[in-house]
Amino acid sequence: MASRIVKKSALRLGQNLFRAQSTMSAFELQHKTPVIKKITSIPIALYGGRNAVTMLPGGGIGPELMSYVKEVFKYAGAPVDFEIVDIDAKAEDNIDLEYAITSIKRNGVAIKGNIETKSKSSEVLSRNVAIRNELDLYVNILHVKSYPGVPARQKDIDIVIIRQNTEGEYAMLEHESIDGVVESMKVVTESNSERVARFAFEWAKANGRKKITTIHKANIMKLSDGLFLDTSQKIAKEYPEIEHNEMIIDNCCMQLVSKPHQFDVMIMTNLYGSIVSNVVCGLIGGAGLLSGKNYGDHYAIFEPATRNTGKAIAGKNVANPIAMLSASVDMLEHLGHNQHAKMIQRAIYKTVCEDKIHTPDLGGTATSTDVVQKIIDHILQSDIRPW
Amino acid sequence: MRLFGHLRNAKSHSDTFWNKLSNFFSNVTETDTNLKHSAQSLGNRLFSSESRKCTLIPGHGIGPEISAAVQKIFAAANVPIEWESVDVTPVKGPDGKFGIPQAAIDSVNRNKIGLKGPLMTPVGKGYRSLNLALRKEFNLYANVRPCRSLEGFKTLYDEVDVVTIRENTEGEYSGIEHEIVDGVVQSIKLITEEASRRVAEFAFQYAIDNKRKKVTAVHKANIMRMSDGLFLRCCREMAKKYPDVKFEERYLDTVCLNMVQDPTQYDVLVMPNLYGDILSDMCAGLIGGLGLTPSGNIGLNGALFESVHGTAPDIAGQDKANPTALLLSAVMMLRYMGLNEHAAKIEKACFDTIREAKHLTGDLGGKSKCSEFTNAICEKVTAA
Amino acid sequence: MAVRARNVSKLLSKVINGVPKGQIRQLSAEPAEIESRPDFRTTCTMIPGDGVGPELMYSVQEVFKAAGVPVDFEAYFFSEVNPTLSAPLEKVAESISRNRVCLKGILATPDYSHTGELQTLNMKLRNALDLYANVVHVKSLEGVKLRHSGIDCVIIREQTEGEYSALEHEGVKGVVECLKIVTAKKSQRIAKFAFDYATKNGRKRVTAVHKANIMKLGDGLFLRSCEEIAKLYPKIEFEKMIVDNCTMQMVSNPQQFDVMVTPNLYGNIVDNLASGLVGGAGVVAGASYSANCVVFEPGARHTYSEAVGKNVANPTAMLLCAAKMLRHVNLPRYGDMIRSAIEKVLKDGKVKTKDVGGQSTTQQFTYAVINNLDIPKA
Repeated sequence: MASRIVKKSALRLGQNLFRAQSTMSAFELQHKTPVIKKITSIPIALYGGRNAVTMLPGGGIGPELMSYVKEVFKYAGAPVDFEIVDIDAKAEDNIDLEYAITSIKRNGVAIKGNIETKSKSSEVLSRNVAIRNELDLYVNILHVKSYPGVPARQKDIDIVIIRQNTEGEYAMLEHESIDGVVESMKVVTESNSERVARFAFEWAKANGRKKITTIHKANIMKLSDGLFLDTSQKIAKEYPEIEHNEMIIDNCCMQLVSKPHQFDVMIMTNLYGSIVSNVVCGLIGGAGLLSGKNYGDHYAIFEPATRNTGKAIAGKNVANPIAMLSASVDMLEHLGHNQHAKMIQRAIYKTVCEDKIHTPDLGGTATSTDVVQKIIDHILQSDIRPW
Repeated sequence: MRLFGHLRNAKSHSDTFWNKLSNFFSNVTETDTNLKHSAQSLGNRLFSSESRKCTLIPGHGIGPEISAAVQKIFAAANVPIEWESVDVTPVKGPDGKFGIPQAAIDSVNRNKIGLKGPLMTPVGKGYRSLNLALRKEFNLYANVRPCRSLEGFKTLYDEVDVVTIRENTEGEYSGIEHEIVDGVVQSIKLITEEASRRVAEFAFQYAIDNKRKKVTAVHKANIMRMSDGLFLRCCREMAKKYPDVKFEERYLDTVCLNMVQDPTQYDVLVMPNLYGDILSDMCAGLIGGLGLTPSGNIGLNGALFESVHGTAPDIAGQDKANPTALLLSAVMMLRYMGLNEHAAKIEKACFDTIREAKHLTGDLGGKSKCSEFTNAICEKVTAA
Repeated sequence: MAVRARNVSKLLSKVINGVPKGQIRQLSAEPAEIESRPDFRTTCTMIPGDGVGPELMYSVQEVFKAAGVPVDFEAYFFSEVNPTLSAPLEKVAESISRNRVCLKGILATPDYSHTGELQTLNMKLRNALDLYANVVHVKSLEGVKLRHSGIDCVIIREQTEGEYSALEHEGVKGVVECLKIVTAKKSQRIAKFAFDYATKNGRKRVTAVHKANIMKLGDGLFLRSCEEIAKLYPKIEFEKMIVDNCTMQMVSNPQQFDVMVTPNLYGNIVDNLASGLVGGAGVVAGASYSANCVVFEPGARHTYSEAVGKNVANPTAMLLCAAKMLRHVNLPRYGDMIRSAIEKVLKDGKVKTKDVGGQSTTQQFTYAVINNLDIPKA
């Protein structure tokens, strides 16, 4: 059985499979050898109804936001125990990072702030990217939904952005062959594109979405984005009930700011995803409100949607805690604790939309702690059982 | 398969059963006579003027030093024993397999009594555990370990006086294991009526010979209903035959719980192999460790007394070793042979030396050398 | 304009009094109590058990009533020595799965069974709910003066396979075989449980207790699984100890142990041993975990049937179990209240039951605990 799989992938991927593992680069191991990079089964970390989850506070506003998450969970009685792993930003080696990855591998789920990488040397990968690549979290979902009480130019937006998370422009393969001339490689593989497209269509089907738009620049990058586009069109044929169209990235950005309601679900590669998610966050009023989910086959990590450390506002009690709390709600849903997720979600909605307690980034004057306190008050008054 | 091997052995035991039945009609049971013989007849065969021959297995590491110490003390006490020293390091036999040298086997078979120092088992390669091999070779079915608090050595437990008697040949240590499916291992615990009866009878006989009041059977028959149930039934049968000794049965976890709170409530304990291993080491821990605990293995045709500590290669040859464990085992041997006065003399000398605390070796908290400790005991013995 | 000036000055004052980066910020007012929610009561299954179990459960209920704990009990009579009156296993299992938490006394296991079965009722309950991990936290109590002090160890025992698989047969008359089963999957599961427990509670070392020198395949598999899982936890020290050496070390130097992970039988021996070192079966609380539910029961499982109806049993173990249960259902204030009351009573030393060297009755001890409850004024 195993030999059959090996033969099949060998035919598809060429000779690489029969080379020794030591001769392959990290990238090849990551992307071309799905059979070698097998994951052994580790028992699930669920004991007595309580899950163990890794928490990576990161830098900047990360630690304060994580403390708010812990407070809210305490009052909501969410059965989650956090294992906090700090990663030292200034360290040149990767010991903390490896420990964090081991911890996520055994817990299966993590909630994370943005991790700083202060080292400028090209040897040291961005730690966030390293985590994503190592755990093969190949898709990032961002569900952008307008909050009614928040002042924004566009109202009633409901877009889902599904973005390839491990390759594309973020493959981190750059070199300077001649002095003053730098080449940066963008890698697009069929297997990853297919995985993302299939995930998107399945998700759309499961959540009752009607239309998927593939965003690309295949008129210029004919081979790379062309491959991405062709793959998603091929998968679209298997789901006739979902409408599929495509749009070039520059046109898409223009449409987003003028007529965003035409979009339902959008699939794209890494860099375009980064751009589009930031644009849409701006449309609904701010980066501090949304959370993103990173999924792989075995692991899931939840984080605020816009990946910035917020060093400028660290310690000033003005950061918006909603993004991190939304990420924690997503995490509870993923673990199956739907009651608690609903309870916290409703509390957040009430605080932001009805009570209109907003931090400065949304145009209000409240502090982070005010917001969190109000959420806790709503939780204590809700009628869902606390444990 | 070894599984059926054991059943085959069981069949051969049933032949002995027919022998027993025929003996029953002549009012003598074979097992009764055997044990009575083994407990006293060997001692009775001793004529007061002749010296007995005993096999001495010095062992490895500190073995030779402490054996020499014991021999010196016995010489000082004029014990009528002639030592025959043998080496049991396995040699390659004619068939290529490692085995105990024939000279050693002949010696013990001839003398029927042996004293053994610590043996080293190489990890991972070489020969299998020598202790296990000796036990199998000489069919030693009961292991006796009396644990008594030493007056000179203070531990948190002062009033311990317990004897653990453990079935030595079967039970959980039968060594029958196999991996039926990848990731699933099955290990068989074997309990036979014959062995259980043998060790139970030995326990009661020991209690009578040593003026003990109570025998407690330790088991887990609430969980392992058939296996420990069989063991328990054999113990109950034997209890009926010895009405002078009080008999009780206790669960293993209760015994553990109570032993650490109040060790005086237990006297003689009899149990299958694994429980015995754990409980005897625990009792050794109560009185101060393996360096002070004597131990004896009784078989159908003889007995082997040993010290249960390790070979301590780091202090070998430096005259730092503590011979107490081997000495107390040798005293047990003397009692087994019936030389009770010599045994009492040597034991008293040893306890007095430890109580005085003038010449204690390193593990007891003193700074003396092994030879000084030995000399102190010799002086007391010759003075007595 | 004035409004803007006011906002700016507010912001400025916050910046000036700002908290350094990363420090946890205090929330504004007194945190509202979780327990102050008026309408909510938790349901917990209760199995009084045999022996002195029912009396101890009565103590627990008295203390709960005095403290005003919002917990309702769903009681079932579940017993193997009285099988005709006992509730059926399915009903009890369904109740525990629904409530996800249970407070259980000790069930007596007879040496024989009417139906000739080899599996005891405890084993059946554990298999039905897959309660694979038994955690006993053994801690020296102030006020109970014994030979050893300063003991603080946790014994985690695999309780669904191993020597207690209830597979025995008598192939030939007079020869009984009992099978001990060791599987890689369950060994890995219990090892992961132990290491996760150590991580969650800030413990530094996990000791695996085994007899792999003799049972090379069986305990060897258990040991290998523990080693594999240990690789995933580089910050926790892992060591192995043979069970007979372990018991010897426990009676001479028990302070060296932190977390121990053991297969079934050795766990039974070691946790009874450890309970004896801190005061006996009446003072140690334990819990059994499955993936979704928890059963809280005393750590050393003895029914103490000699003391039934004599009012001398020690309710400490059961009360500590109840305190653990309250912490688990997110009512930590009540749990801590009961625990500190017990500690106060034991430290005072005036009211002690027979097993810790006193003369008081169960009822006197219960009332002492109630009197020492620190109930805040409404």
